[in-house]
Amino acid sequence: MNLLFKLHQWFSFLGNYASYGIAYLIETIVVLAFVAISFIILIYVFRKYMARIQLRIGPNRVGKFGLLQLIADALKLMGKESILPKGRDDMAYKIAPIITMMSIMVSFIIIPYGGLYYFGNLTTTHSDITLILIFGILSIMPIGEVLGGISTRSNYAILGTLRGIAKDVSFEVPMLISVLAIVMVSSRSFVTGGSTYNSLSLAGIVTNEIIPYGIIEPLGLIVFFISMIARASYSPFDLSESDSELISGSTTEYGGMRFGLFYIGLFGMVYLGSFLVSLLYLGGYNGPVSSYFGFIFLLIKVIILVLIAFLIWLSLPRMRIDRFVQFGWKYLLPLAVINLIYAGFFVLYIR
Amino acid sequence: MPHYTELNIGPVHPSIHGIFNFKLILNEEIIQDVKVTLGFLHRNAEKLSELNLYADNIIFFDRMNYIDAMNMELCYLMSVEKITGIEPPERAQWIRMIMVELNRLAARLVGMGSLGLDLGMLTPFFHAFKEREKIQRIFTEASGGRQEVNYFSIGGVYQDFTEKIINDIRNFIDQFKKNLEDMYNMFIHSEIFWQRNQGIGIIEPELAFDYGVTGPAIRASGIPYDVRKDAPYLFYDKVNFDIPISHQKDNFGRFMIKVEEMRQSIRIIEQSLDKINDGPFFNPQGKKSLMLRIKGNGEAFSRVESDAGEFGVYVKGDNTTKPYRVHARSPGLRNLSLLPVISKGLMIADFIAVVGGLDPVVGEVDR
Amino acid sequence: MYKIVSDEKDKVGMRVITVDKTDLIEAMTDFKNKGYYLTCLNGNDMKDHLEVIYFLHNFDTNDYFAVKTSTNDEHLPSLTKLFKVAEWDEREQYDLMGIIFDGHDDLRRIFLPDEWVGHPLRKDYDLKKVQYVNMDSEGNEHVSFDEKEGS
Repeated sequence: MNLLFKLHQWFSFLGNYASYGIAYLIETIVVLAFVAISFIILIYVFRKYMARIQLRIGPNRVGKFGLLQLIADALKLMGKESILPKGRDDMAYKIAPIITMMSIMVSFIIIPYGGLYYFGNLTTTHSDITLILIFGILSIMPIGEVLGGISTRSNYAILGTLRGIAKDVSFEVPMLISVLAIVMVSSRSFVTGGSTYNSLSLAGIVTNEIIPYGIIEPLGLIVFFISMIARASYSPFDLSESDSELISGSTTEYGGMRFGLFYIGLFGMVYLGSFLVSLLYLGGYNGPVSSYFGFIFLLIKVIILVLIAFLIWLSLPRMRIDRFVQFGWKYLLPLAVINLIYAGFFVLYIR
Repeated sequence: MPHYTELNIGPVHPSIHGIFNFKLILNEEIIQDVKVTLGFLHRNAEKLSELNLYADNIIFFDRMNYIDAMNMELCYLMSVEKITGIEPPERAQWIRMIMVELNRLAARLVGMGSLGLDLGMLTPFFHAFKEREKIQRIFTEASGGRQEVNYFSIGGVYQDFTEKIINDIRNFIDQFKKNLEDMYNMFIHSEIFWQRNQGIGIIEPELAFDYGVTGPAIRASGIPYDVRKDAPYLFYDKVNFDIPISHQKDNFGRFMIKVEEMRQSIRIIEQSLDKINDGPFFNPQGKKSLMLRIKGNGEAFSRVESDAGEFGVYVKGDNTTKPYRVHARSPGLRNLSLLPVISKGLMIADFIAVVGGLDPVVGEVDR
Repeated sequence: MYKIVSDEKDKVGMRVITVDKTDLIEAMTDFKNKGYYLTCLNGNDMKDHLEVIYFLHNFDTNDYFAVKTSTNDEHLPSLTKLFKVAEWDEREQYDLMGIIFDGHDDLRRIFLPDEWVGHPLRKDYDLKKVQYVNMDSEGNEHVSFDEKEGS
């Protein structure tokens, strides 16, 4: 029994289609509200965590323990004057942050969240190809950055964008190959040994994932996690931002809430990437006890992964762009291919 | 056909230590040429010094290398004391030596932290500045100033060391030894830090001589030149310390030299604290009531080993209460003048790292 | 062969030798061949003539001494062919002291804007005349004695 079906039953007096429509709408709003609230909590946790690592105190002025700091920051960003650079490409300049933000938000609707005691399964999108869908949407996200970078005609932004493109090209291929290995492994059931039919949907993969795939193919886990940090532009891979060299890289000319949207987009990417890693490699909402609390298990895994990503961000210097491209093509790609071959053998012989 | 881009780094930029302007001529990301524009912080301290009394000029030197203010004061006062004939007593010399080495630690901590920041490492910066803050507490206790201390005076120091200050320094040194190693490990255990620093900004010894480069930069090229050893001032000939050299010639070598010199500075401070004697802390000829009437005659050029290298001050007096001419030899200017030469063919990211490694302080470059 | 006019010691005990302006290049070439490097140079305005002190350092023998020369007509031969450090130092002395180094390829002001009038370290520089630096829309600096001009 999932939440969507429950909502559908509540609104069934409106007729079949209308009730499904309203049920989808409400669930989408609920999921996005959850994402927004968890963003606020996560950014607060992140800032406190960062401050502790750096021997600082962190936000402690606005509200109790500085809990309202992020809301104050968001209000500040919204209240700021919108400064538009001269000689910009107007349409591209204005649409770029929205693309980045929307692609992240839409991705969160596709994620299967697992069950929570009373509400049932929280998954919104019931499709057989959510895996393809989510990586499709993720590949829209760089378009926002590229548009934002080149539309302002600032040298810093253009250099940052070029770096960003070089970075994207070098890690996306290994990332998708390691996902392919997941699909291969998940196409055979552990229990029956026969083929499964929904290995292209995230929910189907998690259902088959009785043993976390990270244990079966640790190489794939490493490649995918590194790619996710790179996707989120976190140090050591924050090449498109490079704040000490290129001011702020592709977002140099943005200010106010437009910059805020980019910031939320990149921050959300870490969160989303952690969801994907825990779904694909760490068993998702499967846990040691009954699946009533699947959502809680998923959340715990995600928070641990996010904190690991933060720790990496705070402790490593930035890689140079040519080193990163070399790293992508010389190490990540071969590792991903080895992982793929290994997955093939695993499916055929070991299982 | 190559396509060139012009990129302005500075005068306002996150990782330029002060306000310079570097105009990079880029071919994609490779630097073809660097044009340096100076003078954004030019105050003409040399002219100002000619207009003011000998004792007043100390503050202008505080503001030259503002992160290494004690060394600047010391160098000016060494020249002034020579031409006025007011020699500081022994205790004042020891106090000066301890303060100078403490300030060297503080300056190196800034350099170390900001190099990390330039490379995208956020955390070591805060750790370094926390330690620096402890040093500045000691300065505040002794002089009342945090960064621009104005602590030394002609013929001695402004205030005597109390037991509390000596205990503070001892406590600081005890815990700093461990914290320094922690900070060092934070850098050195990162593979990316090695990748980012090795092999960039190579300074050959011949080039360093020709451009007048001194300090950590020349010691990283394998030349054991340190004014503290080669022309000892204060009591540097009475304490044991080593001059580290590196044959790597690159940014990484410079970083290692800086860290090793911090360890040597700790040794100097420990020995000085043991050897400091009782006695007067200033020469009665330079006491406050006489300060406005101090006259100098003749010319003197003295030099000290500051954070960036050999800092020298030339003072010429004409038997009045104001100096006739003051000139400062700025090590940062020499290090900067080498920058266009060593940064050809580097990438932007490396350029930032090289600037961070040379660590020019704009107050001293522009004066 | 160059002639040493005088050989004395300053208050710190550093050797200061004086050579004629015409002998400067020859003397410096000789010192360079002996392993000396220029570390710094400094101009003095002696009211009736200008004086330049070159500080030389030998890294092998650790010898540090000064060479003094003077000029009556603001002109001195440039040492940029011998020592690279002279490039910026001579620019600095040109900027602040107004000594013109003949043979310097790039003798521009280094700290002050190009249009600045006068050389501040000269004793006859009028400090009461305030010069204002303004920037036009292209980012070029303009100097004028009038506060409102250019802005």
